[in-house]
Amino acid sequence: MDAFLDKFRSQQYRGRLHEDTWEQELDKIPMFMKEAPSEINPQENPDLACLQSLIFDDERPPEEQAKTYKDEGNDYFKDRDYKKAVAAYTEGLSKKCSDPTLSAVLLTNRAAAQYHLGNLRSALNDATAARKLRPSHLKAIVRGAICHLELRNFSEAVSWCDEGLRLDSKERKLLEIRAKADKLKRATERDVRKAKMKERKDEAQKGALLHAVQARNIQLVSPAAEEDEEEEPMSPRGGLGSENAIGARVSLDDHGRLSWPTLFLYPEYGQTDFISAFHEDSRFIDHLMVMFEELPPWDLERKYHPHHLELYFEDEDREEVYQVSQESTLLEALQHARYFVKAWMPAFLILVKQSPFCKNFLRGRKVHRLK
Amino acid sequence: MWPGGSSCGGFLEVSPMESHLEAEDVAQEFVTFLNQGTPPDIQAKAARYVLGLTGSEPGRSLLTAQKGLLQALAKLLEAPPGTAAGAVGDAWRALVNLCAEPSIHGSLLAALPGLPVQLLARALAPNWPWAGEAAAALANLSRESGPARELLAESSLESTNDEANQEPSLARLVTALTTPDYNPHAPLHYLASVLSNLSQLPGARAFLLDPNRCLIQHLLPLIHCPDSAVRRMGVVGMLRNCCFEHRSHEWLLGPQVELLTFLLMPLAGPEEFSEDEMDRLPVDLQYLPPDKEREPDPDIRRMLIETIMLLTATAPGRQLVKDQGAYLVLRELHSWERDPNVRLACEKLIQVLIGDEPEAGMENLLEVSVPPDVEQRLQQLDQQEQQQLQQEREEAVQSPSRLDGLGPS
Repeated sequence: MDAFLDKFRSQQYRGRLHEDTWEQELDKIPMFMKEAPSEINPQENPDLACLQSLIFDDERPPEEQAKTYKDEGNDYFKDRDYKKAVAAYTEGLSKKCSDPTLSAVLLTNRAAAQYHLGNLRSALNDATAARKLRPSHLKAIVRGAICHLELRNFSEAVSWCDEGLRLDSKERKLLEIRAKADKLKRATERDVRKAKMKERKDEAQKGALLHAVQARNIQLVSPAAEEDEEEEPMSPRGGLGSENAIGARVSLDDHGRLSWPTLFLYPEYGQTDFISAFHEDSRFIDHLMVMFEELPPWDLERKYHPHHLELYFEDEDREEVYQVSQESTLLEALQHARYFVKAWMPAFLILVKQSPFCKNFLRGRKVHRLK
Repeated sequence: MWPGGSSCGGFLEVSPMESHLEAEDVAQEFVTFLNQGTPPDIQAKAARYVLGLTGSEPGRSLLTAQKGLLQALAKLLEAPPGTAAGAVGDAWRALVNLCAEPSIHGSLLAALPGLPVQLLARALAPNWPWAGEAAAALANLSRESGPARELLAESSLESTNDEANQEPSLARLVTALTTPDYNPHAPLHYLASVLSNLSQLPGARAFLLDPNRCLIQHLLPLIHCPDSAVRRMGVVGMLRNCCFEHRSHEWLLGPQVELLTFLLMPLAGPEEFSEDEMDRLPVDLQYLPPDKEREPDPDIRRMLIETIMLLTATAPGRQLVKDQGAYLVLRELHSWERDPNVRLACEKLIQVLIGDEPEAGMENLLEVSVPPDVEQRLQQLDQQEQQQLQQEREEAVQSPSRLDGLGPS
């Protein structure tokens, strides 16, 4: 007897854990694993590989297999591993089991996982398919309604909710979603009405501006129309609504008077001045007095005094130049028979009287001077 | 003010007929003519004659004195096999006219005690070709307070044991009104009048205002129904009566029902408000398009205003109505409105909305007790007002009276 007992002290039993590495070895035993490896290598983990093949045996009936995949998917879902959940549910659906409830559940669960991955359209497709299989499946309806809500398909969200509420008129989630979707739908409708009203107002305003310009016999020209020589210079609406580069527009004040964004060009030094709202009844000299109260820095010869300045505009068609009186108003200038406003922004040239540059500039052109 | 405003199904246009025979003899002959087994063309002629009689007051009295005749008529209503459809139609139309006469309700019900229940069943039957006439007859029966209305209310609130339709008839009535094409063979606009009449009874109001039932919410969109003024009138009348229940005001004005938006919409026109003003309106009333039209019927407009007025009876209700921008809509309505009655109602409501809050003890205007001398004085003022209105009306263009020759639409 003693000899039998002595054997245990000296001999080790097979399969025992070693003193130093018992923790790692324990980890390898399927039953004691804390975490399963994502890929099971049959060589490293033969036990685990065996178990896996038992669970996922292709010879089991499709319903069982599908259910197994459903459970697997649910586990992944709980762990928020939505990608793996989707994969598991997909696998389950591929078994094409004949139980419509199980399939509907797989689809609905996959829809939920897709939703959490942000794949709203896929989620919606799954929810719709689930409903086709089982129209009374409330969870599918809820999921579909949520997707529609996120996708801002408010009418569809409301109608899905209504259909679900017909099955269970007290379903809290559906009532919540419906109220939200309805509110957002009506707010969107309001926004559409608001935008339409703004459009109408803008159109009306454009109409009023066009009317005012035509009533004054001011001629307009669009850059595009210049290409077509047959047409008369048109007055296009396009370009009227859009603001120019500096963001200024023609405007009509409460007394029915126009103000124009206007350019003064100084070809001698290649400079420009932009007047954002030149009231048509104000005179050029009024602006020049203010603008040239102090001479601009680019006026190297200090000669651009208001009363020494001459105003001109070019008639590009005939390549002629007309002088404009400083005393005239903008309206009078614009009404000149040969003045064409380009792109809704009048422009005028400013030269210093009798200066060499002025003489040079005007040489060789037909100039219509003031009497 | 008491819950009121009855809707009636009106009289059908028929040519009055003269009878030279003794009443009894006529009756006896007609019972035979109307009964089954008679050749259909004779039946049809007899039914047409009866219909003619119902067009005049003496004719109606004559008929209702003859119990046997009424019962034969009632049998014909059920379209027994072998009867010409024209005869059945005439029988129904005759019944509508009979029901329109309140003085004969007693005799009618004595001869045909099951009539209200029978009519209700037929009005709600989705395939019955004469459901429209049944509804009109019900509207007439329920117009006046009395046994007919009580009976009807009772039976409509009962839960049935019928497996197919567990719900009380009143709920099915609402379903019939709110389901498009509920009955593809017959228009059911007069069901709205029935609803309005029944809502004069507290039991019916309690049922309709039950927050768990979601009935009111489904009825609200009918306020815009373009096909039938009768339907719109009935729904608004019902709402006005329901608003006497001030305990329900907060719920009605809250987000679950949003009653005020629905009441204001038909009163709102295409006006442009400033952006600040727009923001004070409920979302659905903001930026209405330039083709927005107001409710064309002045009586309905007046009832809408009266309903809103009721909602201002309590202090919290008043605040909610003010906060939801009612004043803006009414201000614009007032400048557009031509009808003197409606203008007056509008002015009164505007005064409530912009006036000071009433003193302590008067927070709920529906529960304030008015001392008798003040009551008398107020009645005098009312009378003077009515006289003024009458003068104004005579000066302005008159709108035709609503009850003349009105048939079911």
